Amino acid sequence: MSPALAERIYRFLLRAYPPAFRSEYGREMVLLFRDQCREGDARTLGFWAAVISDVVRSAPALRVEAWGSRATENNRTMGVLMKLTAMVTVLLGVLSVLNTGVELGAAATQTILGAHAVSLALGVFAGVLLLAAGVAMLSPTPRGRQAARLAVLASLVMIVAARLLFPWMSILSQLVGIGLPVVLLIVLYWPHKTSTLGAA
Amino acid sequence: MTPAPLDPGLVWRVDSYYIEYRYIEERAIVRKRQAGRPPEAYLPLPPATFHIVLALADGELHGYAIMKDVAARSEGTVRLGPGTLYGTLKRLLEAGLVEESGERADPERGDERRRYYQLTPLGLSVARAEARRLDAMVRAARRKKLIGIRPV
Repeated sequence: MSPALAERIYRFLLRAYPPAFRSEYGREMVLLFRDQCREGDARTLGFWAAVISDVVRSAPALRVEAWGSRATENNRTMGVLMKLTAMVTVLLGVLSVLNTGVELGAAATQTILGAHAVSLALGVFAGVLLLAAGVAMLSPTPRGRQAARLAVLASLVMIVAARLLFPWMSILSQLVGIGLPVVLLIVLYWPHKTSTLGAA
Repeated sequence: MTPAPLDPGLVWRVDSYYIEYRYIEERAIVRKRQAGRPPEAYLPLPPATFHIVLALADGELHGYAIMKDVAARSEGTVRLGPGTLYGTLKRLLEAGLVEESGERADPERGDERRRYYQLTPLGLSVARAEARRLDAMVRAARRKKLIGIRPV
């Protein structure tokens, strides 16, 4: 077997390694393989058995390490996204309370029906609960997530009850009051993976 | 009044300084975290890792020279392939035990440029700690007469 063909086969075998590792050490590995070819006989079965054994022993471990570090990166990204979501939730909770307050003020100029008054009160509570959920989400602990889930669920129940009592609720209030808690519940119940890769 | 447009060259320079600053800052954080770990925290070293660390104890070497050194010292019983060698070097670099000392052609081989690696002060401390650990084990084995006597 010519050295050029042996090198081509080795370059093909290098695909077993993670792309990042290949781009960092691929050239050096090929240089080392060339040295090995110069020293040993690339035509023998023993030479290729040693080459394949090296790939089989090292590539899977490096793949697992690459997946591990990717999971750590993903967890970090998810953490940042959760913080941003929590901040938006706090903001929308404040806006929701203010919006209901404005509606309450407008309704106070006329005679408020019992059902309308209850729905407005429920709206205020729902906004406060959304605000509390946002604050709880800012703490990245299992207890914080659990508290946020409960607050979001309670907020959703209240806003649905308010919508049933007062069907003329504004589209924005319905979007923020019902849509946002549904999205938050999906996010909060999404499986949260932790990295198993320790420090080297 | 509309503000004057920013010089793209200046923006690029500021960006590159920022990236460089972030890189230095992150390296400093990694070094600080590593500095907090005693050398014993890295033990025991896997056999291939200790062989590489031993090879680098004499000074900087490139991959092929490390491979040759390990094969010579172990009288051919340990043969590191490129995957095992560079996989281990990657882990040692990430742990801060080894660092790259440059890239140049080997004057003896006179071919393509190769990356040279050397032990960091932490790497040297870890190598010493591992040698002490192995030495204590060998002494214990000798006391139990497992080695140092002629087989019957």
